[in-house]
Amino acid sequence: MAEILQILILGLALGGVIALMGSGLSLVFGVMRIVNLAHPSLIIGGAYITYLAFKALGVDPIVMLPVAAVIMAAIGVVLYRLVFQREAKSAKYSEMTVLLTFALAMMVEGLLGGLFTNTQRVTSPDYATAAFFIGDVFIPKGQFYAGVVSLTIIAALSLFLKYSRLGYAIRATTQNREAAELLGVNVQFISILAFAIGIGLAGAAGSLVSFVFSFFPAKHWEWIAMLMSVVVLGGMGSILGTVVGALFLSVVAAFVGTWIGATWSTLTFFLALFIILLVRPQGLFGEKPELA
Amino acid sequence: MAVTLQDTSASAVIEARRAHNEKLALKADQTRATWFPVAVLAVLAALPLLQFYGNYNYVLHLVLFTASYVAMASGWNILGGFAGYVSLGHAVFFGVGGYFSGMILARYGISTLITAPLAGLVAAALGYLVGMVTLKVRGPSFIISSIALLMIARILFDNWHFIGGANGLTLPPNDLSVQWSKVPYYYAMVAIAAFTVWATYKIKHSKFGLGLRAISKDEIKAESAGIDTRFYKVVAFALSAFFVGMAGAVWGEYLTYLRPNIFLLILISANMVLMCILGGKGTIAGPVIGAILIVALNELFVATMGASEINILGTGLVMALGLMFFPLGLVGTLARNGKLPRILNWD
Repeated sequence: MAEILQILILGLALGGVIALMGSGLSLVFGVMRIVNLAHPSLIIGGAYITYLAFKALGVDPIVMLPVAAVIMAAIGVVLYRLVFQREAKSAKYSEMTVLLTFALAMMVEGLLGGLFTNTQRVTSPDYATAAFFIGDVFIPKGQFYAGVVSLTIIAALSLFLKYSRLGYAIRATTQNREAAELLGVNVQFISILAFAIGIGLAGAAGSLVSFVFSFFPAKHWEWIAMLMSVVVLGGMGSILGTVVGALFLSVVAAFVGTWIGATWSTLTFFLALFIILLVRPQGLFGEKPELA
Repeated sequence: MAVTLQDTSASAVIEARRAHNEKLALKADQTRATWFPVAVLAVLAALPLLQFYGNYNYVLHLVLFTASYVAMASGWNILGGFAGYVSLGHAVFFGVGGYFSGMILARYGISTLITAPLAGLVAAALGYLVGMVTLKVRGPSFIISSIALLMIARILFDNWHFIGGANGLTLPPNDLSVQWSKVPYYYAMVAIAAFTVWATYKIKHSKFGLGLRAISKDEIKAESAGIDTRFYKVVAFALSAFFVGMAGAVWGEYLTYLRPNIFLLILISANMVLMCILGGKGTIAGPVIGAILIVALNELFVATMGASEINILGTGLVMALGLMFFPLGLVGTLARNGKLPRILNWD
């Protein structure tokens, strides 16, 4: 019993971080229909920003989080202006943006690899290796803090989407771009805003990732399929779905990792992605995808 | 034959249309520079004679490397270019072909030059099975599922001890002297590349190819026009896997070792996509031009800067710029402007 509880807690803590990693991806898809394959590479970009601040100035990764988020959001605005704005009228928009973000992911990987080499890095604040015990159950502090911070950010994001005027506009654009525009929403501005928030979330996730996982520039290929499976399971564009998908799959992966073997825990995500795409491509909370 | 207004029986109309099409085809044949690919092949066939005058192994290596990518990119083009289903997981078939023939070589000593078509068939069978599953979804979902396929294959190959796991497998080199050891693979790879290009031409101009192009334009309309889209797509997937698998088989013996981190790389998949996009998706000459361009660029990057990170950055940059400014690719853009030189009009 204690063992099951233990695995459940470890899975949930990791799931919280993965939920934050995936929520930006989901938001960007929801508003702009861009499947951002570069998202994990931008998370790694955020992780390197945090790593530099930690090594050079000793700034705590969690304190660095808002800074990394703002820097990445600014990069997001530039990327949107430079790359995606001009593609909006492309006939094969969705396919085009997937390929473009794929190219972008390679560029970010190559750039980070050139700057920081392909060595594994990790920030090591005191809590990264500490733990508390409740009875027999052991809770690693780093993962616990990261999970709590992640879920707090997601909760704040949900409240923002649900109750603020800008949030209304973002949700309206997600539901129906043309209708939102007819009702006076500045769709162009909302797209830039949502893209900036999405990439900013990648930066925030990067700060947490920097002490939860070890990272190197090419690591994002492992994450893209993992995040995709989480986002697709929840339903592309649904933040709640992403959280549920992330928590569920990381708990399953934690059980698989403990009972079957660590190698197979990553495989859980990829197989899940395959199965979901076949059985229910729209995911748990998503609407039926348009055929195009 | 002429069709008068009164003579509207279906067979007469069909007959007239066929005659018209043949006339068009004949006209296209007359303007086609068939001599050009033949001349290129003749030069390539004579190239190893250089070895009598010195050591030109590097030249042979470059041509072989380009030919392998010509075969892979042209193979990818069948699914990605004709049918419009972009796959980022085709490195899986490269790996499967390489491992299948490589294992036979390691166990029974039969050269991959003989087993390559068999490796292609195995890759095609796998492609057929995977296609049955993943081709149910389209657009971005299909692209994502192809990446997931590559990730799954990588984990399986890394942990499968029978085929050497992550450390891979060393294959016996052949007994030829250094001067001549590359030559058999050279001829095999050039032959595979030429066969692939010829086959894509035949496919594009068959009823099957027409169906695939209809699917890429509008799948629902294609279905309602009586095309069995599911079957067409899955067969296209299998065919494209076949050519990639054959290239992988020969490549494995040429390298003399098999390792997942050499074969199952997303960069290899990306290169296939990139070559087709740069050269022109859905054209016959496009993947060939794209492969030559990318290999030349790669050599330039590696020779001048020497770092694989720069190579990845450069590949991504070229891909992004190509997508944004020349979505039709070199051949496609030239053809649209009516400026395509006759020697490159292979369609």
